[in-house]
Amino acid sequence: MPRYHNINGIKVQFTAEEETVRDAEEKAWADGQLNRDLLSLRNKRNRLLAETDYLSLSDNTLADNMKTYRQELRDLPTGLDTVEKVANVTWPTKP
Amino acid sequence: MATYKSIRYNTPLSNGSSQVLLQKITASSDSTISFTSGIDSTYKEYLFIYVNLHPSADNKTFLFNVSADGGSNYNVTKTTTHFRAIHGEGGSPATVNYNTSDDIAQGTGFQNLYGGSGADNDQAICGEFHLFNPSDTTFVKHFYGVSQGAHSDNYSINNFVNGYANTTSAINAIQFKFASDNIDTGTISMYGIN
Repeated sequence: MPRYHNINGIKVQFTAEEETVRDAEEKAWADGQLNRDLLSLRNKRNRLLAETDYLSLSDNTLADNMKTYRQELRDLPTGLDTVEKVANVTWPTKP
Repeated sequence: MATYKSIRYNTPLSNGSSQVLLQKITASSDSTISFTSGIDSTYKEYLFIYVNLHPSADNKTFLFNVSADGGSNYNVTKTTTHFRAIHGEGGSPATVNYNTSDDIAQGTGFQNLYGGSGADNDQAICGEFHLFNPSDTTFVKHFYGVSQGAHSDNYSINNFVNGYANTTSAINAIQFKFASDNIDTGTISMYGIN
């Protein structure tokens, strides 16, 4: 199906060259989905780690279950090599 | 008791400024929407209001770029910031974040205005985008946009984009599009502000 620009309210069909460029843009965008999803996951992971950073200060002994939770958060991105795996990741439960 | 039939003000209620509708474009399965006329030295600020833009598929990112050659090329160098507030329909997530993948540091690509618009029948994005003094040939061209939308994961997301087109050439065209697929429906209106 041809694509169209809407320029000042007037429909203008893509040229063959523009179709090729747009196809490449859309492919590049699709190919970048995993990286975008991983970045979003790491942002959330980092936020969750930051929430418990204060527990690991030098004047505090970190409980084992909290150690495990924080390590699981750090390990979370490991092995996530598809969009589906990122979408279905299981987040550890905060003790 | 006194009865007033009319009240007269000594100063304009508009505080002396005016907002003039220059053009309104209605999307109809368009890959891009561009304004290539009317962006000139007439106004110091141009405001674009987009209402209920609906993508043709889920999880689409709404983008813009500007042109210094009347719309032949949308590739002006930009430096931008992008952050967003997110709240899910179920109460989670509820957070504010800055994603470095959504900003631009001296790049020429399209800038993300809203990430992940949903394509359900009741989902769309709305917002406003301000471009300041586009015809100025001394300073860079500042802009900011605020977008509110229904994300494909059923989140309410408020996106904030700020930045500047790092050029002293006049900006005279702007293009909006989703990163892939079409803008099925919705409107974008361009206003000039004195």
